[in-house]
Amino acid sequence: MMMKLTGLAFAAGLATLMGSTAMAEPVTATPGQQVNAVLLPKFLGILPFDQANRGAQEAAAELGSTGKLEFIGPTPENSAAGQIEMLTNATTQKQNVVMLSNNAGDQIAPAAEAAQAAGTRVVTWDSPIPSGKGESFFVAQVDFGSIGTVMADMAYDLAGGAGEFAVLSASPDAANQNAWIDMMKEALKGDKYKDLKLVDVVYGNDQSEESYNKALGLVDKYPDLKVIMAPTTVGIVAAAKAMQDEGLCEKVKVSGLGLPAEMVSYTLNGCAPQFALWSFVDLGYLTYHASYALATGAIKGEVGEEFTAGRMGTFKIEEDPGRPGARRVLMGPFTVYTKDNVEAAAN
Amino acid sequence: MTRFLTPWETGLLAVFLATLALNASFAPEFLTVQNQINLFQLHIEKIIVALVMTLVIVNAEIDLSVASIMGLSAALFGYLVNAGTPAGLAILVCLAAGLVAGAVNAVLIARVGIPSLVVTLAMLIGFRGLARVLVKDTSLGNFPTWVTDLGQKGLIGPIPLSLLLFFALLILLGMTLHRSGFGRQVIVIGTNAEVARFSGLNVAKVKTVLFLLSALISALCGLLYAARLGSVRGDTALGFELDIITMVLLGGVSIFGGKGSMVGVFLSILIILNLRNGMGLMNLTGHIQTGVIGVLLIASVLLPNLLADFRARKRKDA
Repeated sequence: MMMKLTGLAFAAGLATLMGSTAMAEPVTATPGQQVNAVLLPKFLGILPFDQANRGAQEAAAELGSTGKLEFIGPTPENSAAGQIEMLTNATTQKQNVVMLSNNAGDQIAPAAEAAQAAGTRVVTWDSPIPSGKGESFFVAQVDFGSIGTVMADMAYDLAGGAGEFAVLSASPDAANQNAWIDMMKEALKGDKYKDLKLVDVVYGNDQSEESYNKALGLVDKYPDLKVIMAPTTVGIVAAAKAMQDEGLCEKVKVSGLGLPAEMVSYTLNGCAPQFALWSFVDLGYLTYHASYALATGAIKGEVGEEFTAGRMGTFKIEEDPGRPGARRVLMGPFTVYTKDNVEAAAN
Repeated sequence: MTRFLTPWETGLLAVFLATLALNASFAPEFLTVQNQINLFQLHIEKIIVALVMTLVIVNAEIDLSVASIMGLSAALFGYLVNAGTPAGLAILVCLAAGLVAGAVNAVLIARVGIPSLVVTLAMLIGFRGLARVLVKDTSLGNFPTWVTDLGQKGLIGPIPLSLLLFFALLILLGMTLHRSGFGRQVIVIGTNAEVARFSGLNVAKVKTVLFLLSALISALCGLLYAARLGSVRGDTALGFELDIITMVLLGGVSIFGGKGSMVGVFLSILIILNLRNGMGLMNLTGHIQTGVIGVLLIASVLLPNLLADFRARKRKDA
């Protein structure tokens, strides 16, 4: 008996040792395990989230998870309450991990904390939980600070270095857009941008019609407006269409974050000559790999851990510079699209 | 048992039992205690307001401002707490604000005589505007732990405060409507306000009490919502009034007043909550859930009318 215990302790010690040795090397999760996962976007019905799902499905097939990967989401007008309800239901179902693009701000934190307490991991992607409460870590598409700089630069270019511009964002509580706008405001303090004036930030709630009307509202309110910066794929298309419909493309340029497939005609006709984005397929792919590693215990979600994510290579968990106490995995980089490269990316 | 139920309520009971059976057979987690609590908790503020809305609609009135009052009370709470007001005092101020909002409604409806549809539609916009001014385009949190604990944790065993409140009000308001003199006045006025007035009933007083109560309970539910989610926004509870009125109408309460029971509304609440929960556990997306509940409601509005039409025709033939 004693021998057995000692043996066990020894084995445990060895395992710990091996575990800590493995920490230095990137961890590769063993494929073929059962991970039940839910991919929960802000809402269903727009292309980027479908692309993220495609990436996550690709990763799940590659890892050969014997569990299920569900892709469910609320309707846009019921996004926040719907996400809280779906996260709560996933906890009841004892899902291993929920991958959340958060649209409920900190209102979802109690539900995420309850999920973690019941053993359901919560990994955020695209949009984090602002306070980091209840979240294992956040898979960030790009460094939020660098998005701010790119948005400031695009506004600078399109306005010709001086003049008024405004932001058309998603919902007022979208953590990602809010962080980018804050970072852009930081960047605008630089001397280069001293003649560039941010006159307003309005919210179209990621609804096409509302965003369209808000874009027209901006033009009415600010007759000297030169650029509408929309850091949301729904808002940028709506704004570009609004300017095109009103014949304002010569006067007001649209920019921000958009999908090449949706933006190609506006980029070629000059309504939105410049915009940026990253691959949502890759974001979904990386998020699933990270979540699988976390759910199977290959990683614990602690700062400094490294893991491999199939075709995308090795990634590291680090402190999130934008959210004290929270952790992130940084994907990056992003691409700036113009008439030179948009057609190739749209197909 | 069914003898005490109207045909409509018997139908609701059958639909409810069918939903229960479907859920229990297709979602293994459905019958767990925690899920049964979550099922109520996720919509608790709406279903509490639906109870008082039942009295308002039976009285042949409507209160469209309930969700805006919830939003205003939640926003005011967030604003006051973040401005340094002790949470206990903030709660009292918010409930008082609810009463003031109810008094505005009551004076315009019961004393000035403007239809409640018009008054409360205006207040839906007005109170929501105030909520948005208080919170702006952001969210306010950092509530004391005792507040969020009350909203999120069990008070008696796993049962949270808001669920206890729901059942207490269900019994209290059910007894008021069906077993008290005040309830009889509510129904008589709802059937025919003119006749009630000529019979010496104080119509204005009854309506005043109802709109004060509706606003006070809405303000309380705004606070419950704030405590449950831990933070508030300007759009907190936006659009809830439609869900609330839907629950009441599906319960068999006549939109023209005079008819309706708390039992029917309770069954209707159970059906909607269980349908949503079951569909969620079966991993149906938000769009499908909205569609299914939409079809149920269309059927619930059409069926009674078609039946009445059918009966009328049969009588004509005979």
